[in-house]
Amino acid sequence: MLAAGGWARGAVGLMVAAVLAGLAVGNQPGQAEQTREAAKAAAAEQAGLVALELELPKPAFRGTPRHVPPGSVNLEEPRKGPRPPLMVPPGTQNVARDKPVTSSDKEPIIGALKFVTDGQKAAEEGTYVELGPGVQWVQIDLKEAYTLHGVLVWHYHLNARVYHDVLVQVADDADFITNVRTLFNNDHDNSAGLGIGRDKEYWDTYEGKLIDARGEQARYVRLCSNGSTTDDQNHYVEVEVFARPAK
Amino acid sequence: MKRGCWAVGLGLLIVAGGLALRLPQLDRRPMHGDEAVHAVKFDGLWRTGEYVYDPEEYHGPVLYYATLPIVWLSGARTLAETTEATFRLVPVLFGVGLILLLLLVADGLGRGATLAAGVLTALSPVLVFYSRYYIQEMLLAFFAFAVIGCGWRYAQSRRIMWAVLAGTSIGLMHATKETCIISYGGMLTALALTVAWERRWRSAWKRLRPGAVVWGGAAAVVVSVLVFSSLGQNLRGPWDSLRAYGTYFERAGGAGLHDHAWYYYLQMLAYWRAAPGPWWSEALILVLALGGGMVALRREAKGNTEGGCHGRAPGGGLVRFVALYGAFIVVVYSVIPYKTPWCLIQFFHPLVLLAGVGAAAVPGWMRGSRRRAVVATVLGLAAGQLGWQAWRAAYRFCGDYRNPYVYAHPLSGVVRAADWVERLAQVHADGWDMLVRVVADDSWPLPWYLRRLNRVGFWERPPEEVAAPVVIVTNDLAESLPAAFTGEDTYQVSTYGLRPDVRLLVYVERGLYEEFARREEAATHGP
Repeated sequence: MLAAGGWARGAVGLMVAAVLAGLAVGNQPGQAEQTREAAKAAAAEQAGLVALELELPKPAFRGTPRHVPPGSVNLEEPRKGPRPPLMVPPGTQNVARDKPVTSSDKEPIIGALKFVTDGQKAAEEGTYVELGPGVQWVQIDLKEAYTLHGVLVWHYHLNARVYHDVLVQVADDADFITNVRTLFNNDHDNSAGLGIGRDKEYWDTYEGKLIDARGEQARYVRLCSNGSTTDDQNHYVEVEVFARPAK
Repeated sequence: MKRGCWAVGLGLLIVAGGLALRLPQLDRRPMHGDEAVHAVKFDGLWRTGEYVYDPEEYHGPVLYYATLPIVWLSGARTLAETTEATFRLVPVLFGVGLILLLLLVADGLGRGATLAAGVLTALSPVLVFYSRYYIQEMLLAFFAFAVIGCGWRYAQSRRIMWAVLAGTSIGLMHATKETCIISYGGMLTALALTVAWERRWRSAWKRLRPGAVVWGGAAAVVVSVLVFSSLGQNLRGPWDSLRAYGTYFERAGGAGLHDHAWYYYLQMLAYWRAAPGPWWSEALILVLALGGGMVALRREAKGNTEGGCHGRAPGGGLVRFVALYGAFIVVVYSVIPYKTPWCLIQFFHPLVLLAGVGAAAVPGWMRGSRRRAVVATVLGLAAGQLGWQAWRAAYRFCGDYRNPYVYAHPLSGVVRAADWVERLAQVHADGWDMLVRVVADDSWPLPWYLRRLNRVGFWERPPEEVAAPVVIVTNDLAESLPAAFTGEDTYQVSTYGLRPDVRLLVYVERGLYEEFARREEAATHGP
C-alpha cells in the first residue's frame, strides 16, 4: 500500500513516463535503460520525491569479474557508471541503524549479528558477520512499523562474488507469518523453498544492492541467501533500511 | 570391579565415541571429485564383476572390493540408488578399526598408552575428517597398522597364523595404494634399527621361523595378485601394479599442481589458520608423540616397570619400532614435493600411537600426586578440545576452505545445480531420460550428482550439436557456445559455484523453465 495519495500519483506518473521513455528508445538496451531512469527521476521530482542519498564505502576491488558470458545469463552485467538514484519522499532515512538483529544461525562463524546494522560498511575484517552454509537469514526488528522505501544490502565486497537465492521480505510479525511481502527474490530455481523469484542475480560491490521497497509498511525485514559463487557461507557487511514512520 | 573390566568398558566407550564423531550426516559434505571418481569406478566393478587396474590413476582395487558388502547390505540395486553415506561408510569402518586394532599391541604399548592412543585416534580431527572421505587413505592406514599388530603378535607367540595375517595385510596395503612402499620402507628400516639398537640380532633371527617368512610372504603375494587381477580375470593387473611405480615416482618428484614445501604437513598439524577463520592444531598429539619418543629412547628393551595387559610387561621394542617407523615416514612424506593433506594420515597414525605412550608417561614424570592429577586433567581437557576441533572439521567446517583438510573441494553449488536438473527432469516429458549435455574441462563431481539421469553426455569442448533441454557449461567455456545460447528467449541461464572461481552455467530451454516456474508458483501460491 502506498503511503500517501500524492506520492501514489507521482508513482503512476513515473510509470507512465518510464513506459513512454522505453518505447521512445527502441532496441538499444543500455541507452534505453539510462533514458528510462532519467525519465523516472524527472517524473519523481515532479511528484515531490528526492534522490535517496547514500553513504558508500570505498571500493575494495577494481575491474570486472572474469568470464562473464554475454547476454542471457540470469545475472546482472557489471554496471558501468553510477547507479540511478532511488527517488523517495523527503525525510526518508536509514531506520535500521543499531536495531536488533536475529538470524537462522545462532552462532555466526565470524563476527556478530550486530555488525549487520552497526554502520560499518568497509570491506575489511571486523565489519561483517559470517553465517554457516546453506539457506540462512538475518532479520532486523525496526521496533515499530515504518513505510519502507529502500533496502540497501552489502553481503561482502572484498572480492567479486555472486550470492545465491537472495530474498528480501518484510512482515508484520517476527515469525514471518502475517502479511509477508517479498521485495526482492532471485531464487529462480526455488532452492530456498520460499517461492520462485524473477529478479536477477548480481555481483556484490562497494555500492551494495539497492532494492526498491515500494512503500510497503512493515516492522520486520528479513534477508535470505544461500552461499555464493566463492564459498558456501553467507555474509553480511551491512543492511540499511530507508523508511519514514508509518502513518 | 576388576581392572580388566574397566579397561574393556573404557575401550568400548572410546569406540562408541569414535563412531559418534564419524557416523552422523555422512552426506553433509559435497562429494570431492576424487570421491565421485571412486564411486563411479566402483560402479564398474559392481556391474561387471571385474576391475581393470590403471597404472596411471585411481590406485588399487581394495577400496572398491571393500565397498561391495556395504552396497549389498544397503539394498541398492544400481548406482542411482546409492548415496554418499553408502560409500563413506567404508572409511568410517576402517577408521574405527584403527581403534580396535590397538588390542593387538596393547601388551606392547601398555594399558594406559593403549587407552590414550585409542582416545587420540577417536578424537583426532584429521583422522575423523578422513574417516568420512571415500578415498584409500584410511584403508591403507588400517592395513599398515594391521601389519604392525600382527607382526607384533607373531613376535610374541611365534604362531604362523599371525605371520600369515601380517602377510595378508602387506598384500592388501599393496592393493590399496601405491604409497604403501613408503610404509614398507619405514617398517623395514624401523625393524632393522630396533633390532640393532637392542643388539638382539641373534635372538631375533632365531625367533623368525622360516615357515613364517614363507607363509607370510606367500600370503602377501597371493592376496596382491588376486586383488589386482580381479580374482584372476585381469592377468595383466599384477604386472601393471608394478609398472605403476614409474608413474608414481615421476609424480612424487614434483613440478606439479600439488607441490608444497617440506614443512607443509607439519605446519598443518601444528597450527593452521586461514584468516579470517578459526585456528586448528593437533600440536597436542605432536608434543605427546615427542614424549613417546623420549620413552622409546629411555625404555629398556625388556620392558619398563609399567604394568601391561594381563600383568605382562610392555615391550620396549614395539614402542621403539613405532617411534623409528613414524620418524622415517615423517621425513619421507615431508621430503616428497607432491603433497595432498590426506597423505599425512600414513605418518600421523604412528605418531598418534606414540602420543598414547607419551600421554601415559608424562603424568608419571611429575613429582607428587597433585601435580600428576593436574597434568592428567590438562591432558584430558586438551583431548576434549581436540574432539571439539574434530566435530568442527567434520560438520561445521566440513566443506570450508579454512579447514586445513578441505583440499580442492567443490562448493555445494554443484549439489544444488544437480538437484535442480533432477527437478527439471520431473517436469520434462522424457523424465529421467531427459537429455543433458555437460561441457567442462573437469566436471567432477557432477557425474556422481547426475547419476540418476539416464542420458547425460560429457564433453571437454562444445560438440557440434549442443542443443538440449539442459546444457551445463563452466563459465570459462560459455563464450564458445553457439550464438543461440545468448538469446534470452531460448534459454534461462543460472549460475552455481562449482569450485572457487569456477562457476557452472546451467542453460535450461525457455519452455521447460517456464513450465517448471509455473508448477513451482502453483505449489507455492496455489493454482
